[in-house]
Amino acid sequence: MIGFVARRAVTLVLVLLAVTFLAFAALNVLGDPLVNVVGALAEKDCTEVYAGVAEDQSTSLNPSGDCEIVAQARAEYHLDRPLAPRYFLWLSDLIRGDFGTSFQNNQPVGEVLREKFPKSLLLMAMAQAVALGVSIPWGVASAYRANRSFDRASTIGSFGLLSVPVFAMGVVLLYLFTLRWNIFPSAFDDAGLLPRLWSLVLPAVTLGLPLAAAYQRLLRTDLITTLQEDFVHMARAKGLTPVRIMFRHALRPSMFSMVTVFGLNTGTLIGGSLVVEQIFGIPGIGREIVTAVIRDDFPVVLAAVVVIAVGFVVVNFLVDLLYSWLDPRVRAA
Amino acid sequence: MNDRLMDAQIREGASRGDRYREGASRADRGREGAGRGDRPLLEVHDLRVRFPTPAGAVRAVDGVSFDLWPGQALGIVGESGSGKSVTARTLMNLLPRTARVDGDVLYEGRDVRALAAAGAKHFWGVEMTMVFQDPMTSLNPVKKVGEQIAEALRYHLGQSRGEALAEAADLLGQVGIPEPARRVGQYPHELSGGLRQRVVIAMALACRPRLLIADEPTTAVDVTVQKHLLDLLDRLRAEREMAMILITHDLGVAKGRTDDVAVMYAGRIVELADTVSLFADMRHPYTEALLRSIPRIDDPSGHRLDPIGGRPPDLIDPPRRCSFADRCRYAQRDCLEAVPEFAGLEGLHRFSCNHPAGTERGRAALAANQAAGRNAAGLSMTETREEIR
Repeated sequence: MIGFVARRAVTLVLVLLAVTFLAFAALNVLGDPLVNVVGALAEKDCTEVYAGVAEDQSTSLNPSGDCEIVAQARAEYHLDRPLAPRYFLWLSDLIRGDFGTSFQNNQPVGEVLREKFPKSLLLMAMAQAVALGVSIPWGVASAYRANRSFDRASTIGSFGLLSVPVFAMGVVLLYLFTLRWNIFPSAFDDAGLLPRLWSLVLPAVTLGLPLAAAYQRLLRTDLITTLQEDFVHMARAKGLTPVRIMFRHALRPSMFSMVTVFGLNTGTLIGGSLVVEQIFGIPGIGREIVTAVIRDDFPVVLAAVVVIAVGFVVVNFLVDLLYSWLDPRVRAA
Repeated sequence: MNDRLMDAQIREGASRGDRYREGASRADRGREGAGRGDRPLLEVHDLRVRFPTPAGAVRAVDGVSFDLWPGQALGIVGESGSGKSVTARTLMNLLPRTARVDGDVLYEGRDVRALAAAGAKHFWGVEMTMVFQDPMTSLNPVKKVGEQIAEALRYHLGQSRGEALAEAADLLGQVGIPEPARRVGQYPHELSGGLRQRVVIAMALACRPRLLIADEPTTAVDVTVQKHLLDLLDRLRAEREMAMILITHDLGVAKGRTDDVAVMYAGRIVELADTVSLFADMRHPYTEALLRSIPRIDDPSGHRLDPIGGRPPDLIDPPRRCSFADRCRYAQRDCLEAVPEFAGLEGLHRFSCNHPAGTERGRAALAANQAAGRNAAGLSMTETREEIR
């Protein structure tokens, strides 16, 4: 088991290196890196300091400030070095928590992430929890009496959920539960853990229900196959009740597809949270990314991409470990 | 069924019950409860199982009756589709929901089908269990074998986890698995096929059932392992005074390991006798053909096996006649007119055939068919074969 984890961990590190390199390379290869980092300021000719006289005093950026920013950016992204060392220098900064500076408001990106990311992470975790919490009992109930009335209704219901766009569902839920019945707050409430969780319920349900529908389909199909296995007949011959057989024998070997898609959906979830954070007014990383992309704030985008990619890879690493718990035969392979 | 016939069967049953009780108490000296009660452990009467399909109902089991006494071993022999496994699964309440079942199944006088309908707990797995054909698939791949054995002990007998695991190890020892204490912590994929089938047997026997149904228990394992497993089942049956239904397509497996043999064909029992009589005087042409299709160690070199020509009848709406007639070398006109009565000599050896093998009528029928070149149903007799007796 330890050997298995170690092998997977090595793979994990290699994948992370590749992912961060690709993200960094995008910054450096797609156009002039200086332009990417500081935008129009890169055009400034900083050799002729104080050449211009009249500057608009209303903007905080004066000519000397511009050149400082450009110099800062050169140092920050090691633009005076070749690509390979540049990457490793940048990576070592990254590991030390130095994500660069947002050129929009001169705020360190690390601070932005620390402020915004936990909210989004909580939202995504809650969405996955909702998805699992709904899909497992639902899938089990469908498979238990496959092709009977409940299962047929479930099929229609799950395809319905899958085909409703996230923004439509979000708006409807917001209207019903907040405006109409006033059960949940209309904005993110940051006053302590419980208010935070409570105000994230609706967004998590919005994100989680379509996932639940997808997981339910997969779990149901796998369960129906498993329930025809000999060992299930054997469990019945042992005199175990159907509920016991379902939860102690059939469920675990039937979770592979679901767990796989669970890992892959972490990516989808990030995309979905961009929309959901807007609808529900959650100051999370999703909104930050949207803003940063619109304003060409490359340092923020790069940092967000790296963090999301790392998160995605780590979640799928955990899914790999979960396989070996689900099926001991994976460990031997 | 008329009263006189019923009386005769009851008398016959009683005498045979005595026989098995003696056998059981010999094998298991001094144990209390040997041969409890005066009635069979299991009574199956006119069992019929149909599966509805779009093309019509498949009559998988079509009027099967037999009694099983405590400690008795009954072999059910037949080819694929003869209804032997469906019979077993009916007893175990393992049929799919769509199956239509008629007839009576009584276990110690209790109506098994009513138990199933009432969702009875602690009956299957405690009184009656089953071992399946393929040990590779009948163990849960994601649970340790010890846990799988302990599960039944904990659920049915309320044992603690520790007790149950200790007993699981003990059971593994009883079924001849070396290092049982280590094996309880292993997963099925870490064991060979033979060991896995022993685990399955240990699992089935955990709660000391009084009836074990073994459905082709050795078909999926190596030939060298087969004999060990069959010997093991024999030994455990004797030690535990347990009745057994041994289902097999191989007459050789039933020989010497069962008290009685029922030969099934197309959903019916066509011949039922104590094992010795059956092998000494097989009457039904199907039984005979089944035996002739099995290679024997003393066959001369170059000896050709006799496959059974033709194929089993379609079980959707089968014609009301002898179901084997189309493939039978003895078949005459009367075989095509009605289902032959299931009757027989001395009430012990019963079969349903109008022209049984090894009798005058049989010899005459065979000679007539050979002269005509084909049987009454049109089966070609061109493969001239010597009559075996």
